[in-house]
Amino acid sequence: MRRVAVIGVGVTKFGKHDRSSAELFAEAARDAIVDAEIDPRAIQALYFGNVTGGESERQLHMGPLAATLLGLPTIPTTRIENACATSHAAFRHAVMEIGAGVSDVVLVGGAERILHVPTDHATEFFAYCSDAAYEQPTGLTFPGVFALIARAHMDKYGTTEEQMAHVAVKNHRHGVHNPKAQFRKEISLETVMKSAYVADPLKLFDCCPFTDGGAAVILASEKVARNHRRAVWVLGTHAATDTMFMAEKRDLARVAATERAAAGAYMQAGRGPGDVDVVELHDCFTIAEIVATEGLGFFEPGTGGMAAEKGWTSIGGKIPINPSGGLKSKGHPIGATGAAQIAEIVTQLRGEAGPRQVEGARTGLTHTLGGNTATVLVSLFGRD
Amino acid sequence: MTDEVVTLQRFFAEVRAGRLTGIRCRECGELAIPPKELCATCGKHAWDTVPLKGDGTVASYTVIRVAPRGHTGETPYAVAVVQLSEGVSLLGRVVEVPLDSLRAGLPVRFRPVVVGEQTMVGFGPA
Repeated sequence: MRRVAVIGVGVTKFGKHDRSSAELFAEAARDAIVDAEIDPRAIQALYFGNVTGGESERQLHMGPLAATLLGLPTIPTTRIENACATSHAAFRHAVMEIGAGVSDVVLVGGAERILHVPTDHATEFFAYCSDAAYEQPTGLTFPGVFALIARAHMDKYGTTEEQMAHVAVKNHRHGVHNPKAQFRKEISLETVMKSAYVADPLKLFDCCPFTDGGAAVILASEKVARNHRRAVWVLGTHAATDTMFMAEKRDLARVAATERAAAGAYMQAGRGPGDVDVVELHDCFTIAEIVATEGLGFFEPGTGGMAAEKGWTSIGGKIPINPSGGLKSKGHPIGATGAAQIAEIVTQLRGEAGPRQVEGARTGLTHTLGGNTATVLVSLFGRD
Repeated sequence: MTDEVVTLQRFFAEVRAGRLTGIRCRECGELAIPPKELCATCGKHAWDTVPLKGDGTVASYTVIRVAPRGHTGETPYAVAVVQLSEGVSLLGRVVEVPLDSLRAGLPVRFRPVVVGEQTMVGFGPA
């Protein structure tokens, strides 16, 4: 496969917007085009991610709409939906299109608008990403899915609610320095521990927020990227799937798809966890970050909680996790998250992250998890 | 009982009648929750329908306090993954069990739960 590089990134402010998903994506895409310093007419295709547009905006067929609002109404578009991993999945397809030699410049990303609907509607729409026959009728929510994982992790390894709270405190501390973040405010351990239970043992401050926002990246073949001094190379990208049914997971305290996606991405890149300098991973809930740090090979299974407590995942720690503030502080517009994580890693590897810069970062990793842990993508990035 | 198809519709019709149904692969012995066309272990299509006794233990659980539309009047309620005595697991709503007595390993038994036109798997005291 041909080498592929990221040559431009763009992210909207995350939070509440009075604009449609397609508008939000178009704004992010324009920023990515400016960042890439390319003629927009060089873009040959769009891979677009959105999850709940049919339910929350009565809008399907959002690929061509996004291209139309961007001002590129004739490029081929494909909309991808893989729950919260949507735009990371879109990214993988864009990489393959360039890698296969079909195109030289491809736009990829996604957007979500959800804050204009009542919370119980948003909770219902997100729950559509779990199984409709066995799981949704029980009233299982997404916090509920990760609460099942948290309980299993606590029972198996002795992980504590306080260790989980440390993840939230750290990600909010990082997010203060991200101008695009939804919440730029430090929080105390006590604030997390005293917040109300949403789905025991997960409390309000263990959960990422509902968020509106868009994110876009521009990918290019080596031929095009050669002229871009800020290009960041895609070293590997791998997708893994696990059973949709929570009851069929082999071990509720682990995420098998993360472990398989990581193994594939590390193999493609010819790197291992010890080579990674900076990570953006899917902390939709604090326990999700703990389990992901184990599944990606940074810590042994069962020790992710201790690592969070000891500060090993902070900027300046052993392996800086979520310098952007993560989903917890930056926000989680589910269709945009995968692309936004990639934008952060590209920014970090360029050395352009300002006060949240991980010094000397040469190799970065993004990890995006979809829904009930059934979809996971892992990608690795590096500078020449 | 050979070559019957346990569709979702049939599985939940059986649930309403108080029965749990599994499928067992004749090739490799894998026990699964329907519907499945192919066995995820051996790749064959060779299913026998088997009744499940409905007794099991809680593997993990949560108490939902912020509910999706349609369930907001039911909070707090518990959802659990239950490992059945035959080895397979099912997710279900916990009923008739005090929420503060829930723990991993708690013995429970299948109960059908029907709310309006919606049927779900439930688990109550063993």
